[in-house]
Amino acid sequence: MAQAAIDPHEIHALARIMDELDYYQLLNLKPGASTAEIRRAFHSSSRSFHPDANRTLEEPLREQCERISKRITEAYCVLRDPRRRKAYDARLESGSSLRIQLAEARQSHEEQRKAERRGATAQGRQFHGKAEAALKRGDLAAAIQNMQMAMTFEANNAGFKAMLAELRERQKAGR
Amino acid sequence: MAEIAVGIDLGTSNTCVALMREGQVEVLPNAFGERTSASVVHFHEDGSVEVGNSAKAKVIHAPAQTVSSAKRLIGRYFFSEEVKKAQAIYAYEICEAPNHGVRIEVNGEEFSLPEISAMVLREMKQIAERHTGEKVTKAVITVPAYFNDNQRQATKDAGRIAGLEVLRILNEPTAAALAYGFGMGLNQRVAVYDLGGGTFDISVLEIGKDIFEVLATCGDTFLGGDDFDDRIIDLLADEFVGQYKINPRNDPFAFEKLKLAAENAKKQLSVDEEVRVTIDCVLNGPDGAPLGLERTITRAEFAVLVQDLIQRTFKVCDEALQQSDLTVRDLDGVIMVGGPTRLPVLREAVKHYFQQEPRVDVDPDEVVAMGAAIHAASLVGEAQDSMLLDVTPLDLRIGVAGGLAEPVIERNTPVPIEQTRTFTTFRDHQESVEIRVYQGDHRHAEKNTLLGQFEFSGYQKGLRSDVKIDVTFEIDADGIVNVTATDQATGQQASTQITLSSGLGEEEIQQMIQQDVAGRVATAGVQTPAPGDGPAALPAPPPPAPPKSVFAPAAERESLFGTGDQDLAGAAGDELELDAEGDTDLDLLDDEELIQLTEESTSGPLDIGAADDDGFFDTSGDDLSGPEIELTDEEIV
Repeated sequence: MAQAAIDPHEIHALARIMDELDYYQLLNLKPGASTAEIRRAFHSSSRSFHPDANRTLEEPLREQCERISKRITEAYCVLRDPRRRKAYDARLESGSSLRIQLAEARQSHEEQRKAERRGATAQGRQFHGKAEAALKRGDLAAAIQNMQMAMTFEANNAGFKAMLAELRERQKAGR
Repeated sequence: MAEIAVGIDLGTSNTCVALMREGQVEVLPNAFGERTSASVVHFHEDGSVEVGNSAKAKVIHAPAQTVSSAKRLIGRYFFSEEVKKAQAIYAYEICEAPNHGVRIEVNGEEFSLPEISAMVLREMKQIAERHTGEKVTKAVITVPAYFNDNQRQATKDAGRIAGLEVLRILNEPTAAALAYGFGMGLNQRVAVYDLGGGTFDISVLEIGKDIFEVLATCGDTFLGGDDFDDRIIDLLADEFVGQYKINPRNDPFAFEKLKLAAENAKKQLSVDEEVRVTIDCVLNGPDGAPLGLERTITRAEFAVLVQDLIQRTFKVCDEALQQSDLTVRDLDGVIMVGGPTRLPVLREAVKHYFQQEPRVDVDPDEVVAMGAAIHAASLVGEAQDSMLLDVTPLDLRIGVAGGLAEPVIERNTPVPIEQTRTFTTFRDHQESVEIRVYQGDHRHAEKNTLLGQFEFSGYQKGLRSDVKIDVTFEIDADGIVNVTATDQATGQQASTQITLSSGLGEEEIQQMIQQDVAGRVATAGVQTPAPGDGPAALPAPPPPAPPKSVFAPAAERESLFGTGDQDLAGAAGDELELDAEGDTDLDLLDDEELIQLTEESTSGPLDIGAADDDGFFDTSGDDLSGPEIELTDEEIV
C-alpha cells in the first residue's frame, strides 16, 4: 500500500473530534447494530486506519491514524461483547462518559451481578444478609428461612432463587 | 520497481526466506539448493561464522562451538525453566548476563541471543540478495503467536542487528493463513495447527475476502517437534544403557549422535512403516572398542511414545475454540504448519480431532515464509491489499499491592490497542511509584512473566487519594508493549518501551549494528561444501525445485478448504505469600477488600523512595515488595 488508504483531511478531522464520538458514532453504526454489522464496521474502519494500511504516511498523520486505529479496536471489543456492551450502553445513558476501559466494562458487569445477588430492595438485602450470616454459623435451616423471607420481597431475583435452591439441595444432601 | 521486502520464517530448527514478485511467491533456496536452512550457527576458530545445514553437521565434531535452537532461549530470563533445560541438553556454554539475561559463550566470546539469531537472519538476507542481485534491507519476520513481548522485542532486535528494517513482526499461524487464503476471495473460518520445532500454536481465523481476522490464538512455547525427538533419544539411550550399562547421555558427542539419529528416524517414519536405526559407534567403551547401537522403531511404537504430547496440543485447541466461541463443526478448514505435521501419526490425530481432512497443499516448512513474503509485498505496495487483524496472545497486567497483578488488556484482544487505568499511591506523601508490567494469566504477579518495570516520581506528591496517575498500556500491531505513566495534576510523563531487563538496551543494539556482528557470517556461495561437510549427515536435500507459487491453478483453487509460566517463580521467592494466611479464595476479593488488605499490610516499614536500581527482583527490605500502587475506587475515563 504505497498511498494512504484515506484522505489526509479526513484523518485530521477524525483525530480531532474522536474524543467527542461514542463508539457507535466512531464505527458509523446505529445504536441497535447487530454483531455482524459491528464486525463489518470494524473491518471497513480498519481498512482505512490500521497501521499496515498507512505505513508510508508522513507524521503526524501516521501517528493520528494509529491513535484512531486503537480507538476503533477498543470500540469493537466493547460492542462485540454483550456484557461489555450492556455496561457501556448504561454509561452512555447516564451521560458520564463516551469511553469505557475494557477491564472496567467487565468489572462493572460483575459488580452489577454481585449487587443483584445482594438484593434490590432494602428488605431483600436485609434478609439476604441474615441468611449469609446464618450460613456462616452453619445454621442451614435459618439460612433457608431468611432466604424465603427475602424472596417474598423480590420474587423474581434470579440470584436469590439460585441461592435458595442450592441451600435446599444442601439440606437434602445433609439428611 | 518498488522496494524489495522479504518474508522470513525464523524457526527453532529451520529458517526459510521467501519473496513475492509480480504476483508470484517463491521460496529462495540457499547456495546448496536447499529451500530451508538449519537455524544453526557454527563458530570457527578464526571467529568467522557459518550458518545452516553445513553448520549443523559440525555439531558432532564441535558441539560446544555450534549453537542450535536459539529461538528456545531468545527473550528468556536466565532462571527460566527453558534455559535450565537447554543447559542440560546443549553442549554450548549458556551463561548469565547482568539482570538475569542469557549469553552464549563460544571460544571465549559472549553473544546475546539476538546476535545469534541475527547471524541466521543475515544468512537469509544474503540468500535473498544473491537471488535478486539487489540490496535487501526490509523484511517481515514471523514469530510463534504465543511469543510474549520480551521474545518479540528480542526478535525485532535480531532483525536490526542483521541489518534489516523489520516492517512487521507477524504471527506464524496468521502468515500461514495468508499464504493459503490470499487473493482467493474466501469466506471461511479456519484453524491453523502450527507445530514447530520448539513451539505449538493454534489460531482460529475468520477470513472474509481479503480480511484475515484472528478470533483467538493459544499456544504452548514449551512443546514442539524437538520433544518428539527427545522421546526417541530416550528410547535409544535406554536401549544403549540396557546393552552396555553406560549412559550415553553423559557424553556430549554420543548424545549428539543419538540426537541426529533420532531426528532422522522421526523423519523416516513419515515415509516408512518402520525404521532401522544403526549407529556404528555411539562411544568407545572402557577398553577403547567402539560400542554401536541397532534398534528398529515402528510407527505404532512411535505413536505410543508421543501420544501424550499430541494430546497436549488438543487441550490447547479446545481452549482456542472456546475463546473464539466456536466448535470444530464451525470450521471450514484446518491448515497444518510446521515440519512435525508431516508425521502420519499426527495427521491422523488432527483429522480425528477436527473431524475433517487437514489441508497440506503447501509445504508445511515453507508456508509461513510465503505468507510473510505476501505481507511484506503488501506493505511496500508490491501486492494487492490484504488486511491482517491479529490479537495479543496473553493477558497484559500491572502489579498492584499485595503481590497481585491486575489484568488491563485480556488475551485475544485485537491489536493495536491502548488502555488507560488510573492508580493512586500506596501511602500519603509517597515519593515514587514502581510500575511493573507482566504478561500471563495468573492473578499472582510472580507467576507471570515480568516484561519490565520503571519508577515514576514526577507527580505532585500529596495524600494518597489525591494523587492520580494514569498508566497507559499500548500494544502495537507487532504485539509489542509500551507503557506510559502520566500525572493527572501536572501532565508530567514517564514512559518506557518495555524492555526486559535481560534484553538489550538501545545503545548495545547500536553498537552491535556498528560493529556488524552479523557480518561474521561468511558470504553465501563463497565456500564450497567439502566432502562430508555439507548436509551429508541429513537425508539428501531435495533437488532445487522451480519456484513454486502458492496460487494453485484455477481449477484447484476452488477446492481449497474443501469446497507463563513459571519464569519468575525462583526470583520472586521473597514476595508475600497471601495464601500463607489461609486466604485461599483470592478470586473473591473485590477492590474494596483489596484496598483493605493493602492497608492492613502497611504496618511494615516501606522504604518506597529508595527504589533499587541494581536488579529487577531485589526486594527492598521486609515489605510486601509488590509495586506500591493500587487501584483507585473511581477510575477516571
